[in-house]
Amino acid sequence: MLVAGLAVFVAACGGGSSGSSTGSTASGKTLTVYSSLPLQGASRTNSEALVNGIKLALNQAGGKAGQFTINYKSLDDSTAQTGKWDPGQTSSDARQAAQDKSTILYIGEFNSGASAISIPILNRAGIGQISPANTAVGLTSNAAGASPGEPEKYYPTGKRNYVRVVPKDTIQGAAVATVMKSDGCKKPYILNDKEVYGQGLATNTSDSLKTAGIPPLGNDGWDSKAANYRSVASKLAGKGVDCVFLSGIVDNNGVQLTKDIAAGIPNAKIYAPDGFCESGWVSPKEGGVPTSLDSRLQCTVATLDPGSYPPAGKKFFQQYEAKYGKGNLNPYAIYGYAAMSLALDAIKRAGSNGNNRQDVINALFSTKNLPSVLGTFSIDKNGDTSITDYGLYSVKNGQIVFSRVVKPSAG
Amino acid sequence: MPAPPDFDLHSDSERGLEAASIPVRATRAAPFEAIQRFLSRYGLIIVLLALPLAFMASDLAHGHGFAHILENLKDGVSNGAIWALVAIGYTLVYGIIELINFAHGDVFMIGSFVSFGMWGTLGVTLGTGTLGRVGGLIVAGAIAMIACGSLNVMIERVAYRPLRHAPKLAPLITAVGFSFILQNVGLEWLGGSQHGVDDLVDAQHILVNIGGVHIINADVLAIGITIPLVLLLVAFVQNSRLGKAMRATAQDPEAARLMGINVDHTISLTFLLGGLMAGAAGLIYALYNTTIRFDQGFEAGLIAFTAAVMGGIGNLQGAVLGGLIIGCIQQISDDRINSTWTPAIVFAYLILIMVFKPQGLLGEETREAG
Amino acid sequence: MTAIRDFFRSIGDAWDGLHPNVRRAIGVAVLVFFIVLPFFFTAGGTFIDNATRALAYAVMALGLNVVVGFAGLLDLGYVAFYALGAFTIGWFGSSFYAQVNHGKGLHIGVTGVTGQLPGIHFNFLLVLVAAVIVCAIFGVLIGLPTLRLRGDYIAIVTLAFGEIIGRVAINGDSLKPFGYAVTAGRQGITPIDSPDLPGLASFGPLDLRPWYWTALGMALLSLFVSFRLRDSRLGRAWIAVREDEVAAASMGVPLVRTKLLAYATGAGLGGMAGAFFAAYFNTVNADQFEFSFSIFILAMIILGGLGSIWGVVAGAIVLSYINTYFIPNTFKSLPHHIGLNFDLTDLSFGIFGFLLVIMMVLRPQGLIPERRRKLELTEGVGAGDSEMPIEVSV
Repeated sequence: MLVAGLAVFVAACGGGSSGSSTGSTASGKTLTVYSSLPLQGASRTNSEALVNGIKLALNQAGGKAGQFTINYKSLDDSTAQTGKWDPGQTSSDARQAAQDKSTILYIGEFNSGASAISIPILNRAGIGQISPANTAVGLTSNAAGASPGEPEKYYPTGKRNYVRVVPKDTIQGAAVATVMKSDGCKKPYILNDKEVYGQGLATNTSDSLKTAGIPPLGNDGWDSKAANYRSVASKLAGKGVDCVFLSGIVDNNGVQLTKDIAAGIPNAKIYAPDGFCESGWVSPKEGGVPTSLDSRLQCTVATLDPGSYPPAGKKFFQQYEAKYGKGNLNPYAIYGYAAMSLALDAIKRAGSNGNNRQDVINALFSTKNLPSVLGTFSIDKNGDTSITDYGLYSVKNGQIVFSRVVKPSAG
Repeated sequence: MPAPPDFDLHSDSERGLEAASIPVRATRAAPFEAIQRFLSRYGLIIVLLALPLAFMASDLAHGHGFAHILENLKDGVSNGAIWALVAIGYTLVYGIIELINFAHGDVFMIGSFVSFGMWGTLGVTLGTGTLGRVGGLIVAGAIAMIACGSLNVMIERVAYRPLRHAPKLAPLITAVGFSFILQNVGLEWLGGSQHGVDDLVDAQHILVNIGGVHIINADVLAIGITIPLVLLLVAFVQNSRLGKAMRATAQDPEAARLMGINVDHTISLTFLLGGLMAGAAGLIYALYNTTIRFDQGFEAGLIAFTAAVMGGIGNLQGAVLGGLIIGCIQQISDDRINSTWTPAIVFAYLILIMVFKPQGLLGEETREAG
Repeated sequence: MTAIRDFFRSIGDAWDGLHPNVRRAIGVAVLVFFIVLPFFFTAGGTFIDNATRALAYAVMALGLNVVVGFAGLLDLGYVAFYALGAFTIGWFGSSFYAQVNHGKGLHIGVTGVTGQLPGIHFNFLLVLVAAVIVCAIFGVLIGLPTLRLRGDYIAIVTLAFGEIIGRVAINGDSLKPFGYAVTAGRQGITPIDSPDLPGLASFGPLDLRPWYWTALGMALLSLFVSFRLRDSRLGRAWIAVREDEVAAASMGVPLVRTKLLAYATGAGLGGMAGAFFAAYFNTVNADQFEFSFSIFILAMIILGGLGSIWGVVAGAIVLSYINTYFIPNTFKSLPHHIGLNFDLTDLSFGIFGFLLVIMMVLRPQGLIPERRRKLELTEGVGAGDSEMPIEVSV
């Protein structure tokens, strides 16, 4: 009966509570860019790298974009209780940005599952969002790998507001398949970490390998909390596997997995995507695999040969290495840098309307041939980057070394 | 052991601790009864063999021989040895104060971290000679054991003892609290991702190949440390004066106190022993897997607690047996099914065992678990 | 500490001394206060967000309290019902099964845009009822194997079920029993239909007031259920089983039915809150369903005072605020306020643990201990009971 009374009362005041409209023009000359990343628990390492990259980009620009001063606020989409991203915290972050009148752009999330929550909120608030890490196909397009209803279900207003600086899974999958084919792999096998990124990339790589005529013998998940993978390796060895693709991020126990696969299948080549391509994977000093495995490891990143970076990118590398140590190539630092650079560039291109949220979104989507650390790229109407070339990296003496550019043949 | 005269345990509460006592050695029985007891005790073990037997049959049907399944079991036993050492800590503590010590897995994690830190401090690297390595590792292991032992005693003192008269579940929450604190320590220590450590024992080097079963250095290390430690511990608990005090306290703290046993000291001793085992397990884990991480203890704790319950909580031999069985289930599942389903399969097994033998594999029929 | 305790005790005594009509009036005033509360805060602001989450957690905690607090069955796998409740709305209140009915979808009681979407879309109230039923059935199923067990063995079996359901949530995207995936794994089922309730307009992400009222309604319902059950024949049977199972059985309490009803009730409330959380968070993501969630809810009821209805609500609100507000906001900006510039985020984990330890050590019997136990304490009834809190001075 209490509930019934409540419903009546609520009905009475329902009219007054509807719709808090959010102004589309941020007030004043000072604008805020938010980032929302999992700063607690196991993802902290990568999130810190992202935040470092974001801050470096803002510092290099002198804290300004065009005629506007830019503030940066880093939000946390994880909670202490879970130690990882949390849907409640994610929506709370998006709402906080939506209600701050000075908000102009939002960088995030790290996890595709989290972006699926923040995109619709920011979409209603009319705020542009740049993801530095999401690769799930369905967030932007209905290409192979997307679920029914994607991507429209994330954009309740029907207008797009989400772009990303990392290529979607299909591109990297094709690049990896191209490399494996040219290396002469006959019996490839895919292991994925069951995360959205790892699993999506694994599916796309599997498709590309089939197209390339070397279908994988299997595509299994690995349990990121297992103590070791000796029996997983012996399973693969029993099948005569000669190449293994580790589709996931190194923080999901990737070092252990690499060691056990390498020991269990003595001659296999090991391939990994950008989620692995960092010093934490290969530098023994930082807890990576021993150097004896170096000759068997390769990874792909959507970054270019550091020699061919544009001036801003070279400066970024010098500063980053000065600050965080030489050879410390965490791809997420680069993606964070690229995301903030794109944000600043869009605000600048919007000119005197740089404080108008919709104008900045339009500027994001009209990005053409922007030189960046990731190479020169444009943003298409879905919000995807035009980058298709991948850098193939090998490992020497515990350092990741650029080896060549891969132009993926058919996706 | 003389009791201090001023010692006062809550006088009028009967705590039902006999539930999970550490059993005394079985008395000699007639052969017929022995067979019956054997069946009731080990009948489920035969059920447990179903999984390996099924895969062995499938191997044979495909003409692969026994090597594959034996390799799985070998991996399972050596992995399980680590779980067994951690499980001992759960079973000892549960046996004596009926507390699921959720912080224990994280104490084990600290053991790995201390071992790694110590051999770094001692300067043991891949370049060190064999003798230096062995010596360094023994010292590092000893320090890790002492560190974990004292840490465990400290946690008991700070978080459990003040709650000895509180509702039974209150210490469970302080245990969880300490688990979070220790994980945060690990997080600050080596960061949020895994940390590969020097492969000081050449863990995956194949020592000997017996009919297709590859015995690697890590296997020898895990088994070689676990067996003597467990034997020592069992001998201590069963024969020494302090061990008898522990068993008496587990049976009935009130009666133990009246018999002149200092219950507080005995409980501290129990935590010390559990911590020592966890420290040793931490060292083995670091050398065995050559990767350590701040949340390794959480998962390990869950597995080890499961092992302790599976074996019959409060029972040392049961904890070891449970650890080994879980190790085998995990490896068979990793190989034959899929590693992402492994935890579910382990827990499904646990439920089966609880349904058919509620007191665990080697547990006694008791009031608590009858 | 003693002073605080005496203070609470005197409030309790004063409350008991009031005329029933006065008590009723105060109750209505408090209720009205909570109903109009959101009007004093921003519609999409942090306050309403935290309050909504705290209320939903209170529903969860009240559910677990029936199992652990009333019936004394330690359940470490409560996350299973969060998961099942959430999946119920994922299955019946989203476009997850888009192929159903040749892409035209199945709609019952939904209006507006949702009525056009593919997939199965039932009205939020129907989904809540379905979640309660699904979870109650699973509660019984999970309870069955524990009937022969006592004490902490129940804990481990429920923990095992919780872990298995978590695994199924993660790997369920590859399980396709009838050609339909069971879950969406870590990709998550997103978005979930916004509730479509009579009288409550606009359940949007930027106006949280309707969510708050829904959560408040659910919390009131759970409180009502808790109080009525506690004072019923069944409630007395639960407490009898908790205090002494053998004695209860010999006095004619049907053990099997009593225990299973406790599991079913607790699971039902958990499922209702689970479905609400999924709708509020706009996702059903396998990442959420971990053991730590069970522990989080358990901490709420133990911290609040096991078996004490108001205590459990207090515990839920306190822990929820610590997790969603105190640590991310107050604690993090602490160094900033005293003029220092460093980040405390990486200590939040440990601080959460530290607060749990401190609160438990300072108040082992819980924030608001159950009255029955308090009576036992002060009057010395049943002094031989093992679970009885004995006051320690700290």
